Amino acid sequence: MAGTDQLSAVFSALSDPTRRAILAELAERDATVTELTAPLSISMPAVSRHLKVLERAALISRSRSGKWRASRLEAAPLREAADWIERYRRFWDTSLTRLDAHLAAVQAAERATDRTVDGPDGRGPRGDRMNPRENE
Amino acid sequence: MKTETPQLAISRVFDAPRALVYRAFTDPDHLAAWWGPVGNSLPRDEIEFDVRPGGFQRWTEVNAAEPGLRVQIHVDLIDVADGELLEGVMHVSGRLPEGVEPFATRLRIEFHDEADGRTRLEIRQWLPEHLAGPSQEGWRQAFTKLDATLIER
Repeated sequence: MAGTDQLSAVFSALSDPTRRAILAELAERDATVTELTAPLSISMPAVSRHLKVLERAALISRSRSGKWRASRLEAAPLREAADWIERYRRFWDTSLTRLDAHLAAVQAAERATDRTVDGPDGRGPRGDRMNPRENE
Repeated sequence: MKTETPQLAISRVFDAPRALVYRAFTDPDHLAAWWGPVGNSLPRDEIEFDVRPGGFQRWTEVNAAEPGLRVQIHVDLIDVADGELLEGVMHVSGRLPEGVEPFATRLRIEFHDEADGRTRLEIRQWLPEHLAGPSQEGWRQAFTKLDATLIER
């Protein structure tokens, strides 16, 4: 597991909006310092400093070979959890929208049944709703 | 059962009385009418409910686009208060979409009265164990921040 120091490093690393922006960039693809500099509109030394912080927090890794050191997001567990949450958020959003329509339809049907059963004089058996389960 | 903060919290108000909204979750015919995305179907003879503390809710989800996928949902109900609360552990298994392993997620659904005969639904859901080991609370907090950042984009 991640130790306390490690977690502090993670929180500290994530507390900065520029570093979060870097992580978001790296969520799309691996990138070099140069490639990160352009979209973030900050200097290369500034990007490098942020990358060091992220690397210490083990949120990214940097390739050691070659002239261009690409940074890679290492927050796979975080992303997996985020994906899972996002899937369920969408699931509930879709389902609850359908539930809303379902509840409206059920109530509209109840009102229609009430009118029919009541008749024009309104003396109908109001307890006798369309769905027997209504009275459970 | 762990009591730490849920990872998913949804609140929604429905223009319907509380008893009816509760029934939408606890009556098989009602649940089949709205659960899941459009095209999802719940075979009626595979829905089995025994709604009480220690009871269960079981059903199968069939995806219209991919009828080969049959997702089995088993909710072991732990806490039930008629018309007010459903809490339990939802086990998801069966023939799942590729890349999805069976999992269990703790789920709590509260039904609250709102003004004008409306009902507020409070849904709380917890990450499954394989994504949220007991030692990973810090990671989850961290991911929440990261997630927010990714969504802002």
